[in-house]
Amino acid sequence: MRPDELFLAASELIALALLSAAFLLTVYRVVRGPTLPDRILGLDMLVAAAIGFIAVIGIRTGYTLYVDIAIALGLVGFLATVAFARFVLARGKTEGVLPPGREREVRDRT
Amino acid sequence: MNLYLVNILLALTWGLMSGSFSLVNLIFGFVLGMGALYLIREQVGSLGYFQRAWRVLSLAWLFIWELVLSAWKVAVMVMSPNMNLKPGIFAYPLRVDRDFEITLLANLITLTPGTLSVDVSEDRSTLYVHAIDCSDPDSTRADIAEGFERKIMEAFR
Amino acid sequence: MIEILSNYLTGALLIIGSAFAVVAAIGINRLPDVYSRMHAASKAGTLGSGVMLIALAIYAQDTGTTLRALAGVVFFLLTAPISSHLLAKAAYAVGYPMWKGTVLDEMPPDSRIGADD
Repeated sequence: MRPDELFLAASELIALALLSAAFLLTVYRVVRGPTLPDRILGLDMLVAAAIGFIAVIGIRTGYTLYVDIAIALGLVGFLATVAFARFVLARGKTEGVLPPGREREVRDRT
Repeated sequence: MNLYLVNILLALTWGLMSGSFSLVNLIFGFVLGMGALYLIREQVGSLGYFQRAWRVLSLAWLFIWELVLSAWKVAVMVMSPNMNLKPGIFAYPLRVDRDFEITLLANLITLTPGTLSVDVSEDRSTLYVHAIDCSDPDSTRADIAEGFERKIMEAFR
Repeated sequence: MIEILSNYLTGALLIIGSAFAVVAAIGINRLPDVYSRMHAASKAGTLGSGVMLIALAIYAQDTGTTLRALAGVVFFLLTAPISSHLLAKAAYAVGYPMWKGTVLDEMPPDSRIGADD
């Protein structure tokens, strides 16, 4: 193996390890919240990490058709984030909201 | 804009003549066409075309550079042991007024160091920007006005 | 020769891109509120996946693939600010609070839905 091929193989592995760490950290934020926009942001970030994964796998296998998958995933991720944002707008803030009749109390307190 | 089409046409003609439509060949043809237009710049009035192309390129370069810089700053801030954060939302009075320019400016602001555009007012005169370091909003405003907004006005006016 | 160079460049870009992805992930865990976290995700995250796609574009050395990868990068650069902008606007409009250390808020008071009732 030539040194440049060795370097490429090693950096693929490093990239995969780093991406896995990023993925797990993001999952932690998605699970922990604490609010809905935080989770949506985490999901958006997961899509970015997944695109990174696809790029590394594409290079590792030499199967460059993965580019199309990455673009499609990016499109879906963008549309999902936009749809989630519209959902947040339509639904309103629900964290820390008490049953009907007691909402004003919460708003006055915060 | 017209000259831009002429230039693309020249590139396509080059591809046709040399019998290859590969990307490298088309780019080469585009550069050749640009050279040809440059030679006759006095006759067809393409001087403005080159100035504009140069300004669009310098805007694109500024954008990429600022993106790298901003990602680096976020990285340094996140990795530093105690983050000294002073976040806040400031209002930015817009000088550009076309929808396209406002969109471009808002996107550029989002991808630059420590700023994120949140909203634009109904009358399109004010952009609301979230800054991660909002201790000196006036200098941030001046940076945007002297950097991106001026470049956008130069490139598209 | 070109292949050796592209191998080194691809490897370096892969490491840089994934490092930015990690930084973005750490950022969205360490920063205090959703608006600040958006900074990490929209900048470092976008740059991370963008750089890794550029690495793929350089590695492929085939016009179609390279073009598609670069088109993908441009596409991400265009959409990432839009989605984070929309998310920030929605979060602010429905009243998710900013961090208590926030020093300035010049948003007009009527921009929160239901602020006036």
